[in-house]
Amino acid sequence: MHHHFIDRFAMGDSLIHRLDARAKLVSVLCYTVVLISFGRYSIACLAPMALLPLTLLWFGGVPVWFALRRVAILSPFILMLVLMSPVYDRAPHAVTFGAWNYTISGGWLTAGNITMKFALGVLALTAMMCTTRFALLLEAMRRLGMPQIIVVQLGFLYHYIFVLIDEAMRVRRARDFRGAALAPVGRRLAAVGGVIGTLFVRTLDRSQRIQIAMAARGYRGELRSLDQLRFTGADAVFLIVVGIYLVACRWGYPRWI
Amino acid sequence: MTDTLALLQVQNLHVHYADGVNALRDVSLIVNPAERVGLIGPNGAGKTTLMLSIMNAVRFTGRIVVDSIEVSKKTEQETRSRCGMVFQDAEDHLFMPTLLDDVAFGPLNQGCDTNEAKRRADEAIAKVGLTGLEQRSAHHMSGGQKRAASLATVMSMQVKLLLLDEPGANLDSRSRRRLIEILDARTEAMLLATHDLPMVRRLCSRVILIDEGQIMADRPTNDLLADTALLHEHGVIDGID
Repeated sequence: MHHHFIDRFAMGDSLIHRLDARAKLVSVLCYTVVLISFGRYSIACLAPMALLPLTLLWFGGVPVWFALRRVAILSPFILMLVLMSPVYDRAPHAVTFGAWNYTISGGWLTAGNITMKFALGVLALTAMMCTTRFALLLEAMRRLGMPQIIVVQLGFLYHYIFVLIDEAMRVRRARDFRGAALAPVGRRLAAVGGVIGTLFVRTLDRSQRIQIAMAARGYRGELRSLDQLRFTGADAVFLIVVGIYLVACRWGYPRWI
Repeated sequence: MTDTLALLQVQNLHVHYADGVNALRDVSLIVNPAERVGLIGPNGAGKTTLMLSIMNAVRFTGRIVVDSIEVSKKTEQETRSRCGMVFQDAEDHLFMPTLLDDVAFGPLNQGCDTNEAKRRADEAIAKVGLTGLEQRSAHHMSGGQKRAASLATVMSMQVKLLLLDEPGANLDSRSRRRLIEILDARTEAMLLATHDLPMVRRLCSRVILIDEGQIMADRPTNDLLADTALLHEHGVIDGID
């Protein structure tokens, strides 16, 4: 089976794809820090922050609808937080936008703020993931000092999540083909338990086989990989431009916003 | 059975699993340099366990010598750099993010510098016909490509003995034929565990029949494969054909 939901566009070739993975990783990390540093009632001043992810997506050849769909898929994670904000924070706040002045409860401002930060954060992350091969991203993390064990685990997660999904689909299909839909709720729930148990045992089994396969090829706890990263002048320019842009967004936005 | 020239010597090998199964009982065999030996037998006969023992991945009693080095905890890194095992499920082999990383994994662990590891990886990838897929990850490959990739991961280590566990399983006829061609071009010694008798006939000069953890026959290929009564008795062929 073929899966594309993580790295559908990452194998492309564009100006953004050619940038060093470290430059992209550092810039997205800085972007995230700046993004969350805005106050909880800030909304309009977050708008310029959309420029970086949209530029990366545009020059990376990644359709914006694809990234927005990611935002929509992940939105249930913050939905409760957004919905609860107006309930818990009812203090009135005066809002000024150019010549207009009006009053709104702080909860609504917080809800808008959380939504914006979440959407922009996911957009930036998607832009990076869609323009960088996962292997290079892992190598960048390793070179930037992330502990080896975490990098190795992420690498395994990236590959074996697909294997696990395949196995889950096969087991589910086997269950469905034997009339699971017609079974009473109790038996269906028991079957779900069986599926999870089977997957757990198979995963454990596979992890043991992988451990043997790694040991058989000389693995002794240190994961060495081919160095495929090249930091060039273009990457330095990219980082400087992103740095100036972030400083301008955070501290240089017009007062009227 | 002692042969100082043999690449692989297995003497009085016993493997007893914790669940009470005697997977191997008093198995002795030799494989000479560049020799291709088929390992046939029914499911659960002990073929995979024999290979895992050679890789020192299961506990055993007896003696296994690979290229004059006795297999033990102390020597396993040395013996593992001399023999490589290709597992039945190619997914178990391909754990790195890209094919290139996967194929370079073994050479890098052997101490090769990155240039040499890349050269070996590129060479192995070319030999199995996967040039152009270096940056692809396993979940974007077909079953046949994964099998070829798993073979490349071991070929790049430049081992002297290839242990192949059901290499033709679940392959379509074109992929299987391609695999046979790749294996036929190899010069390393080979221990090939399979149910695919035509593949054994094509590749191996000698065949070992194993059943219930014991070696039942060790004869030249044509001789053993012609003994249909013996093969039938041990469940290698059925009476339907």
